[in-house]
Amino acid sequence: MLSDSISLNLVELGHFAAHLAMIMALIQGLAPILARWLDEPRLASLSVSASVLVFVLTTIGGATLIHAFVTSNFSVEYVAQHSNTLLPIFYKVTALWGAHEGSLYLWAWILTLYTFIVTLRGRTRYPEHLPTILAVQGWLVVGFFGLILFLSSPFERLLPMFPQEGRDLNPILQDPGMVIHPPMLYLGYVGFSVPFAFAITALLTRWKSELWIGLTRRWALIAWGFLTVGIVLGGWWAYYELGWGGYWAWDPVENASFMPWLLGTALIHSITVQERRQMLHAWNIFLVISAFALSLLGTFLVRSGVLSSVHAFSVDPGRGLYILSFMVVVLSISFGIFMKQGRYQQARESINSMLSRESLFVWNNVLFTVACATVMLGTLYPLALDALTGSKITVAAPYFNAVVVPLFLLLLFLMGIATQVPWRKARLEKLRSRLLWPAVVGLLAGVAMAIAYWPVHWTGPVGIALVAFVATTIFTDYGRALKQRRAQLSESLARAAAKTILGNRRHYGGMIVHLGILVMAIGFVGSGLFRSEMTVAMKPGDVVQVGGERLRFDGIDAFPRANYQTVEGKFTLLNSGRVVRPERRKYPIQEAPTTEAGIDSTILRDAYVVLAEAAGDHWAVHVYVNPLVSFIWNGGIVILIGLFLTLSTRRKALTQKLPATEASEV
Amino acid sequence: MAKRFLILLCLMLMAPVFAAEVAEDPLERQTLAIAKDLRCAVCQSQPVSESNSDLARDMRAIIREQLEAGKSREEIVEYFVSRYGNYVLMKPPYDETGTLLWLAPVLLLAAMAIGGWLFLRNRKNVELPPVAALSEEDRARIKSAEQAARNEDEAEK
Repeated sequence: MLSDSISLNLVELGHFAAHLAMIMALIQGLAPILARWLDEPRLASLSVSASVLVFVLTTIGGATLIHAFVTSNFSVEYVAQHSNTLLPIFYKVTALWGAHEGSLYLWAWILTLYTFIVTLRGRTRYPEHLPTILAVQGWLVVGFFGLILFLSSPFERLLPMFPQEGRDLNPILQDPGMVIHPPMLYLGYVGFSVPFAFAITALLTRWKSELWIGLTRRWALIAWGFLTVGIVLGGWWAYYELGWGGYWAWDPVENASFMPWLLGTALIHSITVQERRQMLHAWNIFLVISAFALSLLGTFLVRSGVLSSVHAFSVDPGRGLYILSFMVVVLSISFGIFMKQGRYQQARESINSMLSRESLFVWNNVLFTVACATVMLGTLYPLALDALTGSKITVAAPYFNAVVVPLFLLLLFLMGIATQVPWRKARLEKLRSRLLWPAVVGLLAGVAMAIAYWPVHWTGPVGIALVAFVATTIFTDYGRALKQRRAQLSESLARAAAKTILGNRRHYGGMIVHLGILVMAIGFVGSGLFRSEMTVAMKPGDVVQVGGERLRFDGIDAFPRANYQTVEGKFTLLNSGRVVRPERRKYPIQEAPTTEAGIDSTILRDAYVVLAEAAGDHWAVHVYVNPLVSFIWNGGIVILIGLFLTLSTRRKALTQKLPATEASEV
Repeated sequence: MAKRFLILLCLMLMAPVFAAEVAEDPLERQTLAIAKDLRCAVCQSQPVSESNSDLARDMRAIIREQLEAGKSREEIVEYFVSRYGNYVLMKPPYDETGTLLWLAPVLLLAAMAIGGWLFLRNRKNVELPPVAALSEEDRARIKSAEQAARNEDEAEK
């Protein structure tokens, strides 16, 4: 009984902490404004202290919620709706972000976490701008806590009568992939709030961009990295869990995560132009604001009920209206300031040649922006059409693939050329000699592929040709650098090979990320164009041939597990002797069973079996053979490796502390 | 002994004969080919061929029936469109509801490409504003930074 009363009180403590956090965030947001108004500059530093408190308080709130889950405190409505005493403890904890209220709280907590880290790093590096940066983030925190505390509180209590048993966590979410996917995605979305805060601060204070652009680049890379992981994990999880043999459905919520990713990729390229050639200042600020705007739009789309989706959270027009108003306010202010002050820093340089790396990066940005706009159009068009004319159409994979794939092929082409084109001005002869071999290799690869697999959709050979082209440019580039190094220094080959990369981490990190994209592209071509599938009725003993695989159905087994009943089928892959076990699970709270695909994964192909339904002594079975799917997930890992390498650069100039001229005035 | 083994061996070798090799019903293949282009009306952007919902199953059954009755692909698609509207097509139609959707990306690409070209051309070898002289504040900063660096060097020696 004692533990009951403790858990009952603890949640209210967390609730109180959350309210306090909102008040602190308000102070964080107001401090520099008041400092200006009342002409009391020391007030501004309040926002620094406030940000630490906000983080601590939000953490306390989250901790009490997790405690409520772990102790199965069903007097908390959110716990009662999404947990159960039988739920394994791991899922009790992660149930926190299983539904709207809790995941929103996670979003807010991550925002306070980023703010806290900015505070820690900013105290020494950019102390005079820190209060303004924190104020921007403070207002964002206020906005989200407003939504959480007044419209979607996870702290609601069911008193005095509360249930002895909770409902359950949605079975689809009882999966390790599902557990990690939202936090990664939110770390990405919310991560763009930091460059956003920097950009707004820069506009308001006319901060020279040389001083903050390098910092913004690192934050943008980190946010982009998390977003990439979140998206790839989402695709991986959809593939393993949802049982339709695919990994990306161009679902509106998937698109909502893809759009900021596209702009984020454009951003990390164009920031480089700003660093090297002091151009594109206004465009970069615009990109930063837009990327964050899309993160907010993503939040709105998912939680407003405007979209129907497997991802959509509980529908509530009140919340939708709040988020929409919040977005309108944030974006009008941001774009308003941008329109007024965006040109505060003029470019110091000009374009010297149409064929230069900076101009190619401009084309890179053009393509990514068009891709993003197209995805947005495709996602919002059915809604707009329905609202305006009442007619309903479907915009799904066929549209997006038709429109986005050509853009990506163009981007692949640029990827190969841009690294071989120097800054300022390229000399055509040198470029020709550098691109000759890659072009030849690319062409041969494309033609070989076309011949080997004819008839095949044109994107296959073109895609493979471009992949081979870009890969060759990367490797010849590395080979040239290695050769040069060995000519200058006497080292062992292994040492020279390693030092070449480690001596220029930023460049080679980027190249490895590009390689990761290439690996993924191969995976897309393989699984997109060469999938074999079949739907057959099988009884035990039957054998079916799909693609290159022969499968034998061995029978059905039914038995209970921790919190569900399962009907498990056993299929033997006759080529290898391995076994897959697709299931149909019945969770107590669900009416329809959920299917678990049985998957056998090797580097070259996945064999994917789904039990559909029983008909007499036969079972309807879907069998897919997906070639090269593993390349997609492995490509994601390669991207991460490249990202770590890039971020591991230590730039001495930026980490040195500024002398205490301004700091002492605060 | 040997005889018993021989019988056992023969029985074992016969076993595969009883297991049937199943192949997909060609009608099923045709059904799925049409189902792939139709959207399951109650699902989230899923084609009828992939969805597990009851409606999708029913729709597949109807497609199958109509194929057995000898209807053509166009007739079957028309059957569903007349009942559910264009919503049931996976690909947006090329009529007035869908034209903007198909044209917009092309137009946007053209517009931005032209915009990019103009930007690059206009910024080519442009007269740049003169670089402002160092302000007092900047001078002071440089001085103290130099001093700090000197102090560090001294301390390291």
